[in-house]
Amino acid sequence: MRTVFDKLSSVRWLTDPLALPFMQRALIATLLLAVPAGLLGTWIVLRRLAFFAHAVGTATFPGLVVAGPWGIAPPLAALGAGLGFAGLLSRMTRRGATTADAATGLLLTAALALGAILASDVYRSGAGVDRLLFGTLLGLGDGDLVLAGAVAAAALAATAALVRTWLATGFDPAGAAALGVRATRGDWLLLALLAVTVVAVLPAVGALLVSTLLVVPAATARLLARSLGALLGAAVALAALEGVAGLLLAYHLDLPPGPAIAVIGGGGFALAALASSVRTAR
Amino acid sequence: MEILRSGLLQRALVEVVILGATCGALGVWLLHVRNTYAAESLAHAMLPGLVLATLAGAPLLLGAAGGVLVAAGLIALAARDTRVGAEVAVGVTVTTAFGLGAVLALAPDVPARLGELLFGDLLGTSTTDLVAAAALAALVAFALGAGHRSLAAAVFDPVAAPSLGVRPGRVELALLALLAVAVVAAVQGLGNLLVLALIVAPASAGIRLGASLRGQIALAAALGALAGLLGLVASAELDVAAGASVALAAIGLYVLAALLRPAAGRAPATRRSPIEALVS
Amino acid sequence: MSAPGAGIEVTGLSASYGTGAPALRDVTFTAADGQAIAVLGPNGGGKTTLFRALLGELPATTGSVTVRGATAYAPQTERSRLDFPVSALDVALMGAYARTPWYRRIGAGDRALARDALARVGLADRAGARFGALSGGQRQRVLIARALVQEAGVLLLDEPFAGVDRTSEEAIMRILDELRADGRVLLIATHDVEQARGWDRVLCLAGAQIAFGPPAETLTNAVLEATYGEEIVMLDCGNRAVAIQHHSHAH
Repeated sequence: MRTVFDKLSSVRWLTDPLALPFMQRALIATLLLAVPAGLLGTWIVLRRLAFFAHAVGTATFPGLVVAGPWGIAPPLAALGAGLGFAGLLSRMTRRGATTADAATGLLLTAALALGAILASDVYRSGAGVDRLLFGTLLGLGDGDLVLAGAVAAAALAATAALVRTWLATGFDPAGAAALGVRATRGDWLLLALLAVTVVAVLPAVGALLVSTLLVVPAATARLLARSLGALLGAAVALAALEGVAGLLLAYHLDLPPGPAIAVIGGGGFALAALASSVRTAR
Repeated sequence: MEILRSGLLQRALVEVVILGATCGALGVWLLHVRNTYAAESLAHAMLPGLVLATLAGAPLLLGAAGGVLVAAGLIALAARDTRVGAEVAVGVTVTTAFGLGAVLALAPDVPARLGELLFGDLLGTSTTDLVAAAALAALVAFALGAGHRSLAAAVFDPVAAPSLGVRPGRVELALLALLAVAVVAAVQGLGNLLVLALIVAPASAGIRLGASLRGQIALAAALGALAGLLGLVASAELDVAAGASVALAAIGLYVLAALLRPAAGRAPATRRSPIEALVS
Repeated sequence: MSAPGAGIEVTGLSASYGTGAPALRDVTFTAADGQAIAVLGPNGGGKTTLFRALLGELPATTGSVTVRGATAYAPQTERSRLDFPVSALDVALMGAYARTPWYRRIGAGDRALARDALARVGLADRAGARFGALSGGQRQRVLIARALVQEAGVLLLDEPFAGVDRTSEEAIMRILDELRADGRVLLIATHDVEQARGWDRVLCLAGAQIAFGPPAETLTNAVLEATYGEEIVMLDCGNRAVAIQHHSHAH
């Protein structure tokens, strides 16, 4: 800890890490990911999909565990696991057989238990499990950066095209039927984008903490922004800010980035909640 | 099954059977009040308490109790939020608390054994652990028995319940308190990520298969105990993680129940948006 | 199972949820034993608020409420848990919960009482049926049986005839007459103005009390217009008015 204080006393706390190539990649990845995280995050917050987003993230865990041993690209394995989760969830909640949160709880723990057994006893992943659960600063490859960029572009395009549809369906779900097929298709696209964004942020924050980028910044922005445009912009900005701050914190404390971003994001949310209470109290 | 003659496994078996039965019964009520989300949130958000206890060398039970109390308070506060909505606010709180727990566990030079806190240390159950878990489980079981009628009245007809001598608000609070106790009891053996399996899976199966309320509760308890037994035996035979095996056994039993008795349910009248199905 | 001495006295009652505007203002009426009072008014007009105040669930902001005799409440059954695994007998038995301490099982006497109550409402043969599997009218009758087991002197019924089949409607009317003969007080929230003319008193609520008294004097067109506003439809060249029924259950 001594060295941390030493470093903080000069601007080297910023320049030291950023001189390192792996940190530069992590920085670029984070800034790219902030775009879909903030944009999708806004819809996640408005459509009350926070638990679902967290669950999809967690569900990718077994996929990530087998990716290496089975020779599959991790994002593909994660996507497969995530889509499998979503499919099963849809099946279970059809006809009101099980409530959504009970079904999610069941699938979530199944994924965790399965992943745990595969990691500890089948593939002996050992310390690598931390990386899968909480993210890593190292090991971000070119593929991860390309994916981040692609997802950012897709999120921008989809938001531009569908913002009105998503807003209308979110505001009045019952009336969405009147909007017809476009509303349902729009929702399917939203869910698909959500899944892909989850997969894209996994290397950075890990399977257990996708909410740190996908939910917390947008929730904080919601407390501060009045219009939808401001909300979307603020969510992206906060995701970038908190992401980068988390990266630096993770570097200096030798932590995985996921928990570091979580703590900073939580602090940000608390500050915004306070500020917003003061504002309404006046 | 001579393996079960080992003291280690005997303790683990007794603990997991008692916990399975208790969590099963409790889970039925949580499912009926549609609040399994509370179990998930509480279990995740208590992590800092567990980590601090481990780092300080204090009994895990203490850390669990402290963690659960703080988590419950923060979650209750968040659930009142009107600006971003309860679901999102609770989600942010849980994520932050869980992240904080991970920070506390991974930052120090000698990290706390995070894997065991997350996935449990069933085979490391000491006699003290067993006695504590059993005592807490007994408390929960007793409360469920004594409060059965109040619970039934409050859940079935909260509007008329006061005229029957039952206060629904208090009953719901008591149920959440019992949830907290059950989570504290189960966290040493199963870890805070997997306790949810024992709370949701046997109860879901019990509700599928049981015709009456008492039937559902009895079945859930029996299936929870069975999941504990099967999971532990599988873990010993196959040499795989014990807590995870119990969780998978519980979920496996649920799958069997769902196949045996597919829910009749109602087909949705209109083609709903997929998101509405998720948030209902 | 008679309940002499039951009664209600309400004076200047106002009640609200939270700190907002009162949901109900200036309610004053009395009910003596053996009387059936129709409570008329639009949804959101305060009928349910009044019931909750009478049950003691909602404290009065101003005014006073005195209820003599145990109070039973039969709410609209669409809002109770139809998927909950209880039988008709289980529900009827809930009437005995208030008087059974938690460490005692329900007594044999109360069990017999529950079966009698179900027989009285014409559902003796359906005692074992799951509550959610019964028809709307049958469910209402089970809730009335529960009120009988409670040995309540005062019964609050929330739209007991809404969406109910003919058989159940007749059965419920018959039971309500018997209950009046027993000396109980009945408050029946209803949208059926015609039916209300048959009860002993009517109480018209639209956020505040519009009128209270015997139906012949009280159910004038003026009163009905004040109560229901635009929801009134005039028939017979303005000699009769009926209220439009809403099923939004928003109160």
